[in-house]
Amino acid sequence: MNRRQVFGEVLLVETVIAGFVFVAVLGLLAFCLVRRRAGAGVSASQRAERPGLEGYYVAALASVAVLLVGYTAWQNHREQDPKREEPVRIDVSAFQWCWSFGYPQAEKPLQVSGACRGKQQPTVVVPTGRPVTFTLTSKDVIHSLWVPELRYKMDAFPDHRNTFTLTVDREGRWKGRCAEFCGERHSTMDFWFKAVSPEEYEQWVDAHAGASTARA
Amino acid sequence: MTRHPAFVVVAAWGLFNGVLLAVLAVYGESSLVYWLWGGVVALLELAALAVLLSSLAGPEQHVGYRLPGRGGVAVLPAAVGLAVLGLGFVHGWWLLAVAVPLLGCALLLGAVRGRGAGDE
Amino acid sequence: MTEAATAPTTDSPDRRAVASGGWLRWLTTTDHKRIGLLTMGTALLLMLLMGLLALLMRGQLAQPEENLVAPGVYNQLFTMHGSGMIYLVMTPFAIGLGVYLVPLQVGAPAIAFPRATLLGFWLYALGALVMLSGFATSEGAHADGWFSYPPMADRQHSPGVGSDLWIVGVFLATVGMIIAGWAVLWTALRRRAAGMTMLRMPLFSWSMVATCLMVMGAFPSLLAALGLLAAGRADPSIFASNVWNIGYQHLFWFYGHPVVYVMFFPYLGAVAEVLAAFSGRRFFGYRGTVLSLLAFAALSMSVWGHHMFTTGQVANDYYSLTSLVLLVPAGVEYFGMVGTVLTGRLVFRVPMLFALAFIPQFLIGGLTGIMVGTPVIDYHVTDSYFIVAHLHYVLFAGSAFGLFAAVYFWFPKVTGLMLSERLGRIHFWLLVVGTNLTFLPMFGLGYVGMPRRVASYASFDGFGLLNLLASCGAGVLALGVTAFVVNVAWTFRKRTLRGPSPAPDDPWGAHALEWATSSPPPRLNFTPRHPLPPITSNAPLLDLRQRAASGAVPEGRASEGGAS
Repeated sequence: MNRRQVFGEVLLVETVIAGFVFVAVLGLLAFCLVRRRAGAGVSASQRAERPGLEGYYVAALASVAVLLVGYTAWQNHREQDPKREEPVRIDVSAFQWCWSFGYPQAEKPLQVSGACRGKQQPTVVVPTGRPVTFTLTSKDVIHSLWVPELRYKMDAFPDHRNTFTLTVDREGRWKGRCAEFCGERHSTMDFWFKAVSPEEYEQWVDAHAGASTARA
Repeated sequence: MTRHPAFVVVAAWGLFNGVLLAVLAVYGESSLVYWLWGGVVALLELAALAVLLSSLAGPEQHVGYRLPGRGGVAVLPAAVGLAVLGLGFVHGWWLLAVAVPLLGCALLLGAVRGRGAGDE
Repeated sequence: MTEAATAPTTDSPDRRAVASGGWLRWLTTTDHKRIGLLTMGTALLLMLLMGLLALLMRGQLAQPEENLVAPGVYNQLFTMHGSGMIYLVMTPFAIGLGVYLVPLQVGAPAIAFPRATLLGFWLYALGALVMLSGFATSEGAHADGWFSYPPMADRQHSPGVGSDLWIVGVFLATVGMIIAGWAVLWTALRRRAAGMTMLRMPLFSWSMVATCLMVMGAFPSLLAALGLLAAGRADPSIFASNVWNIGYQHLFWFYGHPVVYVMFFPYLGAVAEVLAAFSGRRFFGYRGTVLSLLAFAALSMSVWGHHMFTTGQVANDYYSLTSLVLLVPAGVEYFGMVGTVLTGRLVFRVPMLFALAFIPQFLIGGLTGIMVGTPVIDYHVTDSYFIVAHLHYVLFAGSAFGLFAAVYFWFPKVTGLMLSERLGRIHFWLLVVGTNLTFLPMFGLGYVGMPRRVASYASFDGFGLLNLLASCGAGVLALGVTAFVVNVAWTFRKRTLRGPSPAPDDPWGAHALEWATSSPPPRLNFTPRHPLPPITSNAPLLDLRQRAASGAVPEGRASEGGAS
């Protein structure tokens, strides 16, 4: 789960920086509340500014910004680093209000869909350890495919195709959602994302290919 | 600094937008974005020009001011007229029959100088 | 037009200026103070209404699988809450505060284009009416969120008349704000009194300059977006092509990001004035802060694409770059604010409490803003409750606290009455507790996978506890706002019962020119009895006090400079 890993690293780095800044500001404020009270017998400084200090401070801020820009751009590209292996391709079609997942590489047509009502949520099955390329489009309005466990989402536009590739490194079954508001039943537009071993994946494809729609 | 600081603020601000747009061009964007932002930079420079012309015509800081002698009584029918005009999009353009007289009324009220409800 | 000196010859209408005149005089006034009050009053009333919508939403989400309101109604609620708070409350209040204060702060007797400013108010008020009238239509109000992406918002997917009314209402209100913004900008640039150089303008006025530049540059783009949406509702084939679907998002966010700073800068400016006044010193790092405000505003025009990272159709690296660079000017502003309190002598009156809480609370919004400006983090958290938490920390924990600081600070100036300190403190503490109880859990909700704009969630999703906490917080917020309403109502009631309990001209020991005139200020702001003091720096009243204290030795030249 390359994306999840990169997300985790970057979030950790930024949370540590943010936490440091927050605690520092809070500490300064707490100091002021106690020591700079009118009752504490202090008098206000009338020094209007300290340009020298401000200069160093801006330089420090700017270098933090440059480092952060470089670091996040690098992570962003690391995340998109393509594996050499031929990916499994899955065509995702979103519609009001459910999903349809096609497997164009299967020998016979293989399509997974559902109505997203009650327990009729479609399950998209992917193999672990192999890159999977999703191609997203929509039949009506803009939707967004989000699997929180994978820490990734991508919008599905009508009249446009978006692709992303990811590799899942462990087996499991996780909730997927629509993240872009798409009308009345937006909140129930869920699906299951199931990662299985490559062998199990091949079996699943063989068992379901040819049927008009499949449920896992 | 300069004799026209207000102009400098607006012009430089617009120019900074232009620089940011130029950096974006390095990364590449859709043509709509260039038109949009480029248009905004042009608009800002026009505004800066207006400020400059005003600065050339009058003092930078004021001792006496020109003040409006009339109330804004024409504003009310003008605003209602514009709102009805907008509602024409929703309920049909027959509303023009209401909007146009209102706007005409506003123009008329605005044209009558020194009359109407003076502002106290 | 008539030529008039700054000061009228008689001094008698000095105190009763605001009280005089019938309702028609109010509605057709060309007095910038009245226009400002009309705008801010309308915005505050609408704020209460939009807050009620939010309470309904929090009621619906308090427990999983609730049925307090139907999903269709819920969608109307979040759309109207969001678009109402942004288009009709925080933006107009900010501009209205500028309409009221900027002429006073630069020593002018009037705003630059008074009738146009009045037109701006009326377009805003009528726009609000048109937008809200959607609730009275059979299909209900608009229900596609404040950014209303097509094709969801086209006629096929949103057939209701409420959507058309929403487009017209937002258009009218935005035109109104553009006009009023121009008037404020022109006043600050071209109506300054003798001695008021650009670099002697108070920080609030500078924040309005930066704000109005953004209004001028970014707001027309919203008009274009709304025009495109209207065209698409007339001819649905437009949104059959992706060019205009993604094009709409560009047009919208080109407005939609700067507007966040339009809803933030004026409140930041207000907080800066409050911090300086109650620290008993001039604002620390004034010039750096001015420069950072302008740079911040310009950068804000360049970051809109970070709202579109997951569309897969924008230059993510550029928008991430500019979004992260924002931390430099933001850091300079924090340097000024913290530096001011760090070297001040602090007096904890109610405006100061709100201003102090603003500092760490907005910081949470800003720091999480850096996170969502990073694509790899944004891919996960965008369109989730993490964003809801982030934007409410910016706009509520930040801007709304600045708004209340401004209200408590300038209320005596505007009305001539002091608000109750005790009720103010109750308001403050309830608001602090309510804000953090409501919005902090939402970061967690977004992280564990709750999308925004969902009308309900399943019991096995595990969102129940955090949502319940947030809903309880919303209840505390409601109590806090009630304390505020009671405070204002009681203060006015007290006046009618016991006669006026007048506020002095300068109850706080503040710095800018508006405190030199009477409370409320006379029609033309400064009179022979309340003349303009010599404008020697960005804190002329502080200079006066210091000169008086040090036996007329001019000392207040610490931050002169910038004489044009």
